[in-house]
Amino acid sequence: MSSPTQITKSTTQVPIFAIIVLALIFVVGLFVVGYDQGHIFSVVLGESAYENLYIHELTHDMRHAAGFPCH
Amino acid sequence: MKTILFLAIVLVSGALAGTIHGVANLAIVEPYLDEAIGIENQNLFASGEEEDTPAFWVEYDAYRDWQKGGQVLAGAMLGTSMGALFGIVYALSRNVLPKGSDLKKSFTLAGVMWFTIYIIPFLKYPANPPTVGDAETVVLRAILYLVFIAISGFGVVGFYQLYKRLQSKSKILSIVGYAVFIGIVFVLMPANPDEVTAPMDLVNGFRAMSVVAVSVFWVSIAIIFGGLWHKLRPDTENSEIQN
Repeated sequence: MSSPTQITKSTTQVPIFAIIVLALIFVVGLFVVGYDQGHIFSVVLGESAYENLYIHELTHDMRHAAGFPCH
Repeated sequence: MKTILFLAIVLVSGALAGTIHGVANLAIVEPYLDEAIGIENQNLFASGEEEDTPAFWVEYDAYRDWQKGGQVLAGAMLGTSMGALFGIVYALSRNVLPKGSDLKKSFTLAGVMWFTIYIIPFLKYPANPPTVGDAETVVLRAILYLVFIAISGFGVVGFYQLYKRLQSKSKILSIVGYAVFIGIVFVLMPANPDEVTAPMDLVNGFRAMSVVAVSVFWVSIAIIFGGLWHKLRPDTENSEIQN
């Protein structure tokens, strides 16, 4: 007579893939919110992105409030 | 580890805590930003770069509304980004965080990260409202701030390695070691080159509220992340064994 037994095992190993994904999100997110001065949109918009500064304006107040140097 | 669940917990808790941060800013930091930008406007009128006309204010209000709304979105993005870092460190250090519930663990880690990668860098390079800051030095200031955060963060990781290797009686040495190390870095790092030209009442009020709002973020992420982890347990695997 056999019956299935449920066991709960705690695993500590973190998949390296998950770490890489999170590290990328960290770097890109920090750059967009804290540092972009038109760099990202310049890929599609060209030089005008450095004058319009869409991302800078979008994140402007958060930059100040979170302590990033802004301008 | 249930990878997808783990990633979902990290991203959701970061985005939520970041949104809370953005809303907290709207409530307590914005009045100072408005006041500071008001000074900038007066300077523009005084120098003749802009004219104090109704058209100016219509454009200005629309622009400020966009910035204010934008910062809640920016909060969600920054929160997701910082949450990703938090998630990495949590997953790698969970076994050595204090025994007990995941809420206790996440509070401990959030406290360490808040102190070492926010408060200490803030004491050296405090946040400034608009009107303070020379555009010529923004790249230098951005680099200094980021470098100091990185040195402090990696310093913690380094001294944590020492902490693990020391006998329990001497573990305190690693904390003292970090304090001495970061104290030296604090003194050696160049100061912010800009003069603070705005009224000090405004700057100090802004800085205090800025610290409160960022602290709200760290408390929020500790609660949300720890709570979700506790409920959903991404670190467990259920398997059925036939006896």
